[in-house]
Amino acid sequence: MGVVSVYMFPVPEGKSGQQVVESLQKSIELLGATKTGNFCVDCETFQTSIQNTQQRQVNILHSSDHPASCFAILDAGTCLVADSLFDGLMQKLKHYYQQRKGSKIESKGQRYEFGDFVFKVGSVSLASSFKGILLEIEYCPCIIAGDCWGLLKEMASSIVGNVAEQQPNVIKNKLEHVYTTADTMCQYLEHFNNYKKQTIPPTAVSTGR
Amino acid sequence: MAVPSVTVSVEPVIENKIQEVKLDGQEIYVAPLSMSENLTKLAHKIDFYKDESDEKGKPTSEGEKEEEDEKVLASFQPSLWPWDSVRNKLKAAFTEMCVLTDVLNIIKEKRYMVADPVSNEAPENKSSVLLLAKKRGLVVAANVLISGAERLKRSHSEHSNRAQNDYFIELLKLRQNWRLKKVGTSILGDLTYKSAGSRFLQSGTFEVTKVIEEKTDGDGSHSRGSLEVVIPSELEGVAYIQVDVKSVPGNILMPAGLGVIRSDAYWQQKLEVAQNVLFCKELFAQLAREAVQIKSSTPHMVVGNQIITNAFPGIQLSIVLCHYTGKEKKTPQAPQKLEHNHVLEHSLHQLLREVHYKNINYVPPHPVNAMLGMSKRRRLAGPLGTSRRELVEMNVRETLLEQIIKQTKHAVLRLRTMHVLDKLAILSDPQITAHWSCLNSSLECSVRINITTAGYEIVRSNSLVLIIEVDNIQAILLKDSKTITLSFEDKALQDLILWQVSQHHIQVVTHLAKCHSWTVISTNLNVGIGDIDVYGTATSIMMSSPRGDKVLSLKSGAYNKIQMFLKEVTSSELNNLSTAVVDPKWQKIMGTFKQIDVDRLQGKTFAQKVDMLMAKLSTMS
Repeated sequence: MGVVSVYMFPVPEGKSGQQVVESLQKSIELLGATKTGNFCVDCETFQTSIQNTQQRQVNILHSSDHPASCFAILDAGTCLVADSLFDGLMQKLKHYYQQRKGSKIESKGQRYEFGDFVFKVGSVSLASSFKGILLEIEYCPCIIAGDCWGLLKEMASSIVGNVAEQQPNVIKNKLEHVYTTADTMCQYLEHFNNYKKQTIPPTAVSTGR
Repeated sequence: MAVPSVTVSVEPVIENKIQEVKLDGQEIYVAPLSMSENLTKLAHKIDFYKDESDEKGKPTSEGEKEEEDEKVLASFQPSLWPWDSVRNKLKAAFTEMCVLTDVLNIIKEKRYMVADPVSNEAPENKSSVLLLAKKRGLVVAANVLISGAERLKRSHSEHSNRAQNDYFIELLKLRQNWRLKKVGTSILGDLTYKSAGSRFLQSGTFEVTKVIEEKTDGDGSHSRGSLEVVIPSELEGVAYIQVDVKSVPGNILMPAGLGVIRSDAYWQQKLEVAQNVLFCKELFAQLAREAVQIKSSTPHMVVGNQIITNAFPGIQLSIVLCHYTGKEKKTPQAPQKLEHNHVLEHSLHQLLREVHYKNINYVPPHPVNAMLGMSKRRRLAGPLGTSRRELVEMNVRETLLEQIIKQTKHAVLRLRTMHVLDKLAILSDPQITAHWSCLNSSLECSVRINITTAGYEIVRSNSLVLIIEVDNIQAILLKDSKTITLSFEDKALQDLILWQVSQHHIQVVTHLAKCHSWTVISTNLNVGIGDIDVYGTATSIMMSSPRGDKVLSLKSGAYNKIQMFLKEVTSSELNNLSTAVVDPKWQKIMGTFKQIDVDRLQGKTFAQKVDMLMAKLSTMS
């Protein structure tokens, strides 16, 4: 259990997502990291299906690194960490919460370990269409974000460059508190939502990232 | 498209009269009349003075008419004469009396009516009928009594005839202890531990048969009943598991039999022995399977009915299944005195029983929709977001063989420590006392070692605590809370204790210096000069007498003998002083160190010797 920071790696024009992922992996391997397997973080969205009430959304996230858990995040920000049987519960509630079609988004890729750090390079795909790249860096020994932010930033900037300068919102709010797995999932959700907003045609509001 | 419609309200007409309109526009209505009030109002309208007959034909409303009638009747009833009922009753009584007198007068005349008495008939006294009835009654009663007596006689005779009923009584006892079921005409029983949670596949069905005898045995022993059990052939005989820990791998010992069970033994004994055989077989099968399957640093050997493995380098653990069926051709040699490690054997039995227990009893809660048997930590793993690595660590389960090897290692370490302490306790000069903690488990125990000198027990800061674990011993020096990890070699422990002993000597001397008011010039816990010690460091102390003219210096190491040196100014040196020395205090720095033979000093212990020496040196000046 450590402090995790998730960065969106922009795909430069002219290059395919696959190439960028490979170059990222190579740079991580050059550092001296060892590959330890694959990982997958996926997210499904459920919406209330009762008319005349306010529309609420529930996002259900799973992470292969936490196989026993299921994360439920409301659009209001509250996060629930539950046993994996929670999926069954959502199925029982399918009359009240219906799954939005075509909203399953996931980040899949390789996992590397380097001393106290864990890197995860994931390519984000929404309904099997490539959206972007998310890089997750975890520093295992620390549990207070404020204490190790500098170290994380330095490690990240050596790989992703300027993107690492900006603190993710989740970390900004919890600099002095104990960092939990739920915060990692909130970061992932934020990125996923940004990717989803990008699918809306340019006439709509653009993301300011 | 819906247009917001105009609201139209439908209200009834206000029937109630308005009593008052307040200043703020609120209207107060007169409350509508209740039923009784309505009735009163209508009753007031009735005129009672009019004649009833005049109104009968009038077609007024019925309700009013009926009310009028009732009202009229009600008004007349109270005006009736109150003594009317009394008068009527008296009249009736008078009439009755008149009739009675008339009847009596007529009877007196005896012309038209006569009074005649009624006579009762005397009952007939037929004795023969009575007799017959009584006789019948007695016969019935006698029959009841006779049938009861006959039943008692029969049961009494059955009791004396034992052989016939023994079988059922024995069968009842058998059913109280073992599970039986009737299959066709035969009765079969179950010897296995299946109902207690065992998953061993060997069947243990025994058959119950009846034995018909003509006469009982001469000794009339209780064990010879009329019920026999037939044990399956593979469970015949006696079996036990032998666990042995040897330091040098020796020859494989032939298991000597414990003795075969008599074929005419009581069925309970036979069944228990057979069940034990099954249990030992299951235990050995599980251990052998684990020995072959698990991969560990030290390989395990499975030979026939023996499992051999190394607990420590040079220490061998052997587990043998000894099954003596009584059908072996050659008679075993005189049974050798086998080394049984009863504690480990009992542990093995307990461990297998624990496995059985866990198979049946799942940890609560028992949810309907989730998996059974998860520990509390595993169940909370989901909501706490535990990582994959932690889950893998949680899932590791120890096999039976690993557990018994751990227990063996700990037992070996414990015994070795005891031996070392016993050996060192022979030293009389500081006394080494060991206090073993009564709170211990099969994998960990602790002992506290105090080093004191007889007579000078006030100096007891040299203690250590040894925590004996599975692979190593943790030694905690209580003086400065330093922790040292010792390996399984017993020499390491001995070295450590002897080193502590040497430090104790110097501590006692420091204390004595305080008592004799000698000044301690210097102490050194790790002397880097002189002969190198075999283990640890040497401690030294240098102190001077109260007058300052004598200096005593000691060095003590773990394996080297204590060395003592004394410096004093001899008279010959005093006389050779040069005139440059002005102050007598400079005499004190003169002199050379001479070694003192510690063995020839007076005193039983080293502390006593130093005590005596210091006292003498203080007085001599």
